[in-house]
Amino acid sequence: MTALRAPFTTLALRRAVYCVVCVVSAAAILAVPAIVPGLGVLILWATGAMSDRPAPVVGPVFLVLFPLTVALLVVLAAPTGRALGAVHRSLADRLLGVHVDAPPKRIGSVLSDGPGWRAIGYCLLKVPLAIPQGYGAFCYVFGLVNLSYPVWWPLFRNHPAGTTLGPVWALTPFGTIGTRTFAGTFLIAAAGLAMLLVAPWLMRAGTTADLAAMRRLLGPRRLAERVRELQISRAQAIDDAATMMRRLERDLHDGAQIRLATLAMNLGMATEKLGVDGPPPDLAQARELVALAHRGAKDALADLRDLVRGIHPPVLDSGLGDALATLATSSAIPVSVHVDLPDRPAPAIETITYFCASELLANAAKHSHATRIGLDVIRSGAHVLLTVEDDGAGGANADGPGLSGLARRIAVVDGRMRVHSPIGGPTRVELELPTGGL
Amino acid sequence: MRVVIAEDAAMMREGLVRLLTDRGFEVCAAVADADALRSAIAETAPDVAIIDIRMPPTHTDEGLRAAIDIRRDHPDVGVLVFSQYVETRYATRLLADRPNGVGYLLKDRVADVADFVEALTRVASGGTALDPEVVGHLMRAGRDTASLTPREREVLALMAEGRSNAGIAAALVITPGVVEKHVANIFAKLGLASSDSDNRRVLAVLRHVSG
Repeated sequence: MTALRAPFTTLALRRAVYCVVCVVSAAAILAVPAIVPGLGVLILWATGAMSDRPAPVVGPVFLVLFPLTVALLVVLAAPTGRALGAVHRSLADRLLGVHVDAPPKRIGSVLSDGPGWRAIGYCLLKVPLAIPQGYGAFCYVFGLVNLSYPVWWPLFRNHPAGTTLGPVWALTPFGTIGTRTFAGTFLIAAAGLAMLLVAPWLMRAGTTADLAAMRRLLGPRRLAERVRELQISRAQAIDDAATMMRRLERDLHDGAQIRLATLAMNLGMATEKLGVDGPPPDLAQARELVALAHRGAKDALADLRDLVRGIHPPVLDSGLGDALATLATSSAIPVSVHVDLPDRPAPAIETITYFCASELLANAAKHSHATRIGLDVIRSGAHVLLTVEDDGAGGANADGPGLSGLARRIAVVDGRMRVHSPIGGPTRVELELPTGGL
Repeated sequence: MRVVIAEDAAMMREGLVRLLTDRGFEVCAAVADADALRSAIAETAPDVAIIDIRMPPTHTDEGLRAAIDIRRDHPDVGVLVFSQYVETRYATRLLADRPNGVGYLLKDRVADVADFVEALTRVASGGTALDPEVVGHLMRAGRDTASLTPREREVLALMAEGRSNAGIAAALVITPGVVEKHVANIFAKLGLASSDSDNRRVLAVLRHVSG
């Protein structure tokens, strides 16, 4: 029963569409090396340059343009492979309901882009894979067509008796068969039925092999790549920590420490002005120095308070909701905060989310000319999703130092960033962080 | 007494100018970086320069390098290096061969105005002023002084800071005669040749404690 029903499921239809697309893309892939020389020849032909002596021109054009194309293909191979891979991943996702994660972003040069070259491997594999897929799709479509012959025979072959007509042809994988009689159409229908019954299995074989290749070649992270990614993000984490410590030292050294030293100096001078006992020798100056010291102490406290908030905002202890609401109040542009988390993420993730939000708000205030900012934190599966949206001028560059630095920092906890900021706005930055940290 | 100040934090610089002017020093120049310091020294030929170690542009040790240059090029100018932290290594680089006319103090020391002014005067007149922190580091890291009594160790530390017998007597609130007795004991116990000059004494003591 399953075998009989198999051709008539939506899955079969989807597979058939997928197979047809795959055959087309395999043909396109085969044609790619000939595109540029082919175009060259086409232009020559169109401009009439070849009308008199075609052969001597076509040869050199191909000889010059073909190696050029190959060289171009080598340089463009990895990005092209990635693009084609992305198309096929989305096809598989839409038509077959199979989701294959995107490979990690390129690290290093175009020529050493491992995932890009693997995607090229997948594209080349498309060509042999297209054979069972093509057969499957062919059997599916022409199986249906052949099966329908007896239905429409009487409609068209209602000629008077004795008229001699040419045979009606039908396509099968083993060549064409023809018939001149109504009975013969049942033979064609039988062949069609056989084709239709075989088609799902052929298509299934073709797509299964295709999906296996896709998972291996288009998916992310072979172990070695994952290790490389981790090495880079670990180095990044260590660098960040060292930079953070240096900045702290510098802030303390140039801020609170110098203020306190000056304060101590002023108090020391004031003490001298007040004398050891008896009436103070210089009360007016002593007063002035004490006032100076008093101001210095307050400045030092303000400095330290800012510094402490920069290390870890105390309000974060009572959760992201409170912390982000507090953060929003200090923004120059009105911020509407919406935090909806069923439970609290790991402390490290809360801290990272907070500082990312803080940096994104500061960016928006600096560059966007926005009139309002939306700050959303929600839970999506095992991830915290931070979205900062503004109605400003857009044009934020995800590869600029600010945003790429942010992306690098969240990569340490396997976080991902998406930036959508067309010129003219609005800007939307989404950060996805795992709730559990590492 | 004429002073040049090199300190990049304006607050501290102004405070020092005020303090020293109040105490009767003549502040010839108050600058914020090492290059300005070098030209100020060449122009004004002061008795002593107060130099912050960390200054622009790199905020690392340009003050220290300027101090070493000044000690080489202008041997008559006393150099008081002034910092928010002490590095024993910096102290030994500064003292290098001769401990005269050099000081290395924590900025915190300005809180005790009299002590600070005394140390500055000592450096200006060719003496030594080492921060107790530095001396402490050197003594902890250096050779064993277990044979000394606690009082003798105190006296040794004050000697290493560059203080004279009178200064030590004042700091410990004892008579100069008692100090002399302690000093003699220390030199005998550590096997050092006694010396009349405070500077040579500092060098001997430092060489001993830093092993």
